[in-house]
Amino acid sequence: MSGPPLVEAVGLEKLFPLTRSVTEMYRGSPRRAIHAVDGVSLSIGSRETVGLIGESGSGKTTLGWLIARLHEPTGGALRFEGEDVLPLRGTALRQWRRNVQVVFQDPVGSLDPRLKVWQIVGEPIRAQGGISKVEVRARVKELLPTVGLPPDCLDQFPHEFSGGGRQRLSLARALSVNPKLVVLDEPTSALDVAVQAQILNRLVELQRERDVAYLLITHNVAAVRYVADRVAVMYLGQAVEVGTVRNVLEHPIHPYTKALLAAVPVADARRRRTRFKIGGDVPSLVNPPPGCRFSPRCPYVIDRCRVEDPPLREIPGAAGQLVACHRAEEVKDIAPESLLTTVDAPTTPKATAPA
Amino acid sequence: MTEPVVRIENLSIDYVVGAGRFRAVSGVSLEVPQGHVVGIVGETGCGKSTLAQAIPRLLPEPPATIGEGRVVFRGTDLVQVPLWKMPAIRGTGINMIFQEPLNSLNPAFRIYDQVAEAIYIRRIRDEGNLVIDHRPKPPFDYSRGPRTDAGEALLRPIVPPNAKRAVETRRRREGLRDEVLEYLRLVRINDPETILELYPHELSGGMRQRVMIAMALSEKPELLIADEPTSALDVTIQAQVLTLMKELIEEVNTSILFISHDLGVIAETADELGVMYAGKLIEFGPVAELFEAPRHPYTKALLHASPTRYKSEGPLATIAGNVPNLSHPPAGCRFHPRCPIAQPKCRVMPGPMLEPVAVGSANHKSACFYPGEVAGIP
Repeated sequence: MSGPPLVEAVGLEKLFPLTRSVTEMYRGSPRRAIHAVDGVSLSIGSRETVGLIGESGSGKTTLGWLIARLHEPTGGALRFEGEDVLPLRGTALRQWRRNVQVVFQDPVGSLDPRLKVWQIVGEPIRAQGGISKVEVRARVKELLPTVGLPPDCLDQFPHEFSGGGRQRLSLARALSVNPKLVVLDEPTSALDVAVQAQILNRLVELQRERDVAYLLITHNVAAVRYVADRVAVMYLGQAVEVGTVRNVLEHPIHPYTKALLAAVPVADARRRRTRFKIGGDVPSLVNPPPGCRFSPRCPYVIDRCRVEDPPLREIPGAAGQLVACHRAEEVKDIAPESLLTTVDAPTTPKATAPA
Repeated sequence: MTEPVVRIENLSIDYVVGAGRFRAVSGVSLEVPQGHVVGIVGETGCGKSTLAQAIPRLLPEPPATIGEGRVVFRGTDLVQVPLWKMPAIRGTGINMIFQEPLNSLNPAFRIYDQVAEAIYIRRIRDEGNLVIDHRPKPPFDYSRGPRTDAGEALLRPIVPPNAKRAVETRRRREGLRDEVLEYLRLVRINDPETILELYPHELSGGMRQRVMIAMALSEKPELLIADEPTSALDVTIQAQVLTLMKELIEEVNTSILFISHDLGVIAETADELGVMYAGKLIEFGPVAELFEAPRHPYTKALLHASPTRYKSEGPLATIAGNVPNLSHPPAGCRFHPRCPIAQPKCRVMPGPMLEPVAVGSANHKSACFYPGEVAGIP
């Protein structure tokens, strides 16, 4: 890759401070904050898709919003095509927004029920200014077929569309100003498998046609596998593993990535006898303790993990794969399936039902 | 040959909305054998949840009406049972776990009270003392003059007549601590003594679902209906809850009807699997056989639609077209507009019935005229 990457986040941080009660202030108890994104470095090349996977509360949506500048980061740097975008304000910021657009998580809540299709899809175009209604309508009409919607639905309302249709509207709105990066926040989680496959196919085709980069935020490993070029795995506000999609999904190094992949149910009836071995809940993000965030649940934990925060580092022998684990070299070759135990079939086989 | 726990025969359920009327479930026949886990999969709007809620008669009637068919449980047809008698059958007979545990737990009561209530109700039900009269009261007839009971209420003694019973209830509930702890341990909750005193909002999603499972199992139901029990949970938490359910299935040995849209979840838990499309059960059979050799084009398409490939390996398989509108379902087989092997017969002939397929085990049934040709679909 020549030149700077499209987006470069360095040590990006977002803390949401918690309000203190009067009692707490008198006692002088420390200020507390939710560490939603805690020092994440990530780069996205042009025309590249980076998948961001993690469970709820891992900070993946917050990171997406930070990159789209919908949240102000509390620390770190964000560069777009080599230029620092954090000082941008007012008109300059609005001008910049045409570069990065977002498809929001909730296809119902993110479309104004009182606006018509052309108003919704054309809103980013109008926000850029200097364009007449007729032109907006014409642009929207051209745009709708590219996401697989009929061009004659300009005057319909969002409630007239199915879940997949609404997601397509959202996508059309994001693409209306020809952005260089689209942040896709859970674009398919509300959809059925068949519709999900249609949307994912469309996303990949659109990327080829329009040279757009994607940041795909999802908990769905299957969607990431199909759409992404590179993957970042997040756990409790930190990126724990970054690498190409094949490397991460087929040879995961970080114990959390292994656990995540082992936990995904597979449509294979032979998995019936397996049991998932990782216990415990995702801990709180309020002032997390020092050390590796996964250490309370990690099966390979050593004393050092509880004290020292592991940095994201390159692992020798795994090309370009960054992992934040003290024991990465030792656990590198353990297969995710080892986090599942297989149980013997019950001694008495179940009688087949009378036909 | 044991009798199945529940036998659904040709069940049809309609929703009447305004002037419209559409059939959410049409002609579904299904059996849940003793000790088996029967899975139901299908896309949104295929009628799987309607079917699940119709069995314990939890559907709001109206707008829902059970058009025809029978649900045979313990030898009685539940469709004919008046609604006010159903609470005696729910609980120990049929119990449910819902998708969103926060909506199913009462936010105003501690975990202890809620689990204890379930145990307490089972006790009095076992003693035969459970009288829940949900018969609708006739509305007050104002044509016979104004209400007079308002003044009467003032004259009533301050201690209500059933106060003695309330004290008794509280005393019996307090004594259930050990039993509540036992059930919380059964669902592998760490430190159950602390959990007892907490309110539902203080628990994580996985914990809440465990409490729901504990409550459902404490009534020792003959049939447990799990309606998307893990869909609201994160994958690692889902894997934990599924592991727990798989262990409990073998320990407790209840029969389960497991509803999900996730083929992976079903594959891991169910013994038999039914696939629903547009209100109809279109294929039914042992899980392994259904996954390896589906005999209905829709099942095959559904199995192929879950993305398992990289973008360099070509586009994902999709199912052409859309799910039909249930107020005007297509004539003939409901899947024919989207089916790759549809023949003229499929368009005209009324939808085929679920019939055993010639190949495979006797319990494998498909509602396709050409089950033998499904294997040839690329």
